[in-house]
Amino acid sequence: MTRFLAFLFTLAMPLTASAGDLSVTGAVVPLAPPGVMAHAAYFNLTNDGAETRRLIGVRAEGYAMAHLHRSEEMADVATMTAVDAIDIAPGQSIVFKPGGLHVMLMHPAAMQAEGDTVLLTLKFANGETLPVQVPVTRLRHGS
Amino acid sequence: MRRLALIFSLIAAPLWAQVQGVELDDPVALPAFHLENDRGETFDRDTLTGHWTLVMFGFLSCPDVCPFTLGNLEAAVTETSMRVRPDNVPQVVFVSVDPARDAETVSDYARYFHPDFRGFTGARDQIDTLIEATDSFYRLMKPDASGYYEVQHSASVSVIAPDGTLRAKLQPPFDPGATAEFLARLQIAYRRSLNQ
Repeated sequence: MTRFLAFLFTLAMPLTASAGDLSVTGAVVPLAPPGVMAHAAYFNLTNDGAETRRLIGVRAEGYAMAHLHRSEEMADVATMTAVDAIDIAPGQSIVFKPGGLHVMLMHPAAMQAEGDTVLLTLKFANGETLPVQVPVTRLRHGS
Repeated sequence: MRRLALIFSLIAAPLWAQVQGVELDDPVALPAFHLENDRGETFDRDTLTGHWTLVMFGFLSCPDVCPFTLGNLEAAVTETSMRVRPDNVPQVVFVSVDPARDAETVSDYARYFHPDFRGFTGARDQIDTLIEATDSFYRLMKPDASGYYEVQHSASVSVIAPDGTLRAKLQPPFDPGATAEFLARLQIAYRRSLNQ
């Protein structure tokens, strides 16, 4: 039983990360199609503290660059804009998801395989950082 | 009155959210065009006839919207295959508007999402011909310091009937069930129009 719980714990480990009042859940890097020089990471970021926190950037191990980005659709045109900072109010969760906020991972050193993890480090305005191990997963779409 | 409007909007909102496509008032005939891929396959006006086709424009270095749309189209086509005859299951074609970066890998990219998906690109004027004919849009943005550039492009997907005419546009978020329902209804309307 202990071993089973340990196994479950191991499974859950990469999906959550926290530093103080900030926590990340549901983090995923969808397995990238072949040949791409950019893909994305998604997660939920929650602030359980009493003060607003400001996310100002992200680092991704194994990539030349990583940016906070937002996809938008205006008049049927899909566009992307870089996001300099995101404020997270006390009690608020910010959702990074397809078609909206995402971390753009650029120029991978090597192609990821399913089951790999990508180490993201979220950077905040007060100098704090939050490391997150994000699993690479083949996304299944459905209704 | 305001309360009535509020109630109406609450009832109607989920219905609007389910709108996954728009049928064109009149079918649009497509001009001749010629696209190709790294496997030596071609995509032109003749290859449109005899089956339904869904055409999506994008680029391979698109981190977010393109993979999400193609993943959703894969699920939508699977759902559609449960509603229509096997020969009416749409062929999905991804057209890269970024041939300079994508010509070597566009075919593998499309097949990653489904073995039957096809990816093409081609000469700029040929891409532009298909873009204009389907009332679509793209724009290559200015490169950054590393030489990387983004591409703005139409979010919607063109639906082409077996007679080679543009009939409808699918729109985000491409909910698989609702998109399949839209396509199945479109096919019924198409067959009716042929029998008139």
